[in-house]
Amino acid sequence: MTAIAHFIAITLYLAAAALAATPFARPVAAPVRGVVTLLGIGVLAHAAALAAYVLRVGQLPLTGLGPSLSFAGFVLAATLLVVELAARDVTLTLVAAPLAAIPTLVANLMGMVPGVEPAGARGAWLVAHIALSFLGIAAFGTAAAAGLMYLVEHRDLKSRRFGAIYRFFPPLATLDRVNHVAAVAGWLGLTLGVVLAVTYSLAYRELSVLKVIWATGAWLAVSGIALGRVVGGWQARRAAIYSSISFAAVVLLYVAFRVAETNGRGRFL
Amino acid sequence: MAVIVLGVSHHGAPLDVRERLAFRPAEVVPALERLRSVAGVREGVLLSTCNRTELYLVEGEDECAPAAWELLAERLGAEASGYGYVHRDREAAAHLFRVAAGMDSMVVGEAQIHGQVRDAWEASRRASGAVLNRLFQSALLTGGRVRSETTLGHGALSISSAAVQLSKKIFGSLAGRRAMVLGAGEMAELALASLQHEGVRAAVVANRTFERAVVLAAQYGATAVHYDDAWDALADVDLLLCSTASPRPVVSAERVRTAVARRGDRPLCILDIAMPRDVDPAVAKLDNVFLYDMDDLQAVVSANLQRRHGELPAAEGVIGEEVEKFWQWVAGLAAVPVLTQFRDEMNRMRERELQQAMRRLGDLSPEQRAVVEHFSQSLMNKFLHEPSVRLRAAAANGRGLGVVDAARYLFALDERAAAAEPVSRPATRDEEAGE
Repeated sequence: MTAIAHFIAITLYLAAAALAATPFARPVAAPVRGVVTLLGIGVLAHAAALAAYVLRVGQLPLTGLGPSLSFAGFVLAATLLVVELAARDVTLTLVAAPLAAIPTLVANLMGMVPGVEPAGARGAWLVAHIALSFLGIAAFGTAAAAGLMYLVEHRDLKSRRFGAIYRFFPPLATLDRVNHVAAVAGWLGLTLGVVLAVTYSLAYRELSVLKVIWATGAWLAVSGIALGRVVGGWQARRAAIYSSISFAAVVLLYVAFRVAETNGRGRFL
Repeated sequence: MAVIVLGVSHHGAPLDVRERLAFRPAEVVPALERLRSVAGVREGVLLSTCNRTELYLVEGEDECAPAAWELLAERLGAEASGYGYVHRDREAAAHLFRVAAGMDSMVVGEAQIHGQVRDAWEASRRASGAVLNRLFQSALLTGGRVRSETTLGHGALSISSAAVQLSKKIFGSLAGRRAMVLGAGEMAELALASLQHEGVRAAVVANRTFERAVVLAAQYGATAVHYDDAWDALADVDLLLCSTASPRPVVSAERVRTAVARRGDRPLCILDIAMPRDVDPAVAKLDNVFLYDMDDLQAVVSANLQRRHGELPAAEGVIGEEVEKFWQWVAGLAAVPVLTQFRDEMNRMRERELQQAMRRLGDLSPEQRAVVEHFSQSLMNKFLHEPSVRLRAAAANGRGLGVVDAARYLFALDERAAAAEPVSRPATRDEEAGE
């Protein structure tokens, strides 16, 4: 059931991205309702997959690589859905829907094998930490997607190309605003997630060096962009470049640690 | 019955011909009444805009095109048909649908014609009838469909609206954005009017002739500054509109670089609509500066125009569907006279048989006679109901003419029609529904 629902969700995320890309094939605006509907049903299917997992193993999909990747994909897709419903613009689907589909696909391929989840107060603490951290990462990813699109459109506008990107991407100011809100939301989520992680480690004397390094790196990256925007007055291209590159670096660091841990002894996220 | 359109448009008639053939609203109904009285036209609508004068007519027994051309020729003072065209039936409907959708306009996809078609229909209401009312309703619906289902009406088609479109691509909403105008020429004023319509605030106007800057600034609620003092203000505005008459660039990269350094990361959009250009092309290389000149604005316009033309096949698909729907409705109308004749014939037969039956029955009380009469009437109505409904349905779904002909043949309506006396009777519900 989980695998089938995952497959449906992945298919719908990719279909939403394909539908959002129709303006590049034919000069008509992307059908907002169609894209949002596909994405919405995909999110529902994904929720059903996670619910089936919870019923089957009796714990939340927050521990173990497969479950946590699937949950990350779900949070990203749900965030995207909320942003698009609010903005009535579906161009972000082009980047963010594949971003949600990829971890879900990896989760499905690797199998939804649960990790060890502590019970009682420790369990609740851990759940809150992981959920907030995922929300923070999803918002950071949204900021990066908006930033990447800003850079692509910025390049087209500077070089005076008036093709499909000119016609169907939202205005630069809109992408800049999405980047701003998502960066601040990402910082809030990750900050709370990290605070919970630190207090958890202190309380239960559990520490994973790689997790600390990665979490610190991710938090510093998102703090940099949030502080730059709110305090330093960063906006437009500078904010777009920083958020895209820093998010890519965080993802690469994650992959590097995963590879290192597979060859080593421990388990990293 | 035939639906015809005849008239002239920008495709074949020069401006002076179109001018002379233009009708004022008050002249529309008298012209149509004249055609109804002279040529036996059943219904008429006259569409008169700056680019076309067209008569939409429903013909009676006689052909009405010659009389309509004569009407136009009188107005023109010369033969008008040489400049024009005539379309009949489906082609006439398709023509009006294209017109209402802006596909036949000088600027393809323009929206104004939709309202003009509606106004023409309203102005001609006293002369139009069921067929043209339906035709114009369908045309307005089709225009709406084409606009919503294709991008035929999208994209700016003038330099000033292209300037607005480009600025919106950078800033989103332009409401509250500040603009500086360099030079106070006519082009700058046009572009500024378009930008102001979108909510842009003209903050500063600078011109070599300070008095002219003061006049333009007063008009747009801005501040006039001397030309050499304009550069300090550049750091505070979002848009710079250049339109001076200077023979060489007056906005250098150095001047803009200084201003940009004080702007932080805020984008600056420079619209250079001067000829020769006012802005050094090197300015385009500066970070967060978007520079567009006349060629760029023209490129936006050309791209939009090309895209509109590329949408015509999709729009034709919508036109085809709507013409088919309208024509099915028209075909449904063909069943009405046959139904009327069929009922008349059956009614005559009923009356004959009823009289014979009454004679055979002998003396009956008035109540008994009424019962027998009611019985015959009711029986006939029940027999005729299903064939009437089916004949109308068949006509409406496109098989009309064959079925109508079959009904004429089966009930020998054509032969009987010549000999029969018309029977006076109230219209039935079925017939009324067919208008």
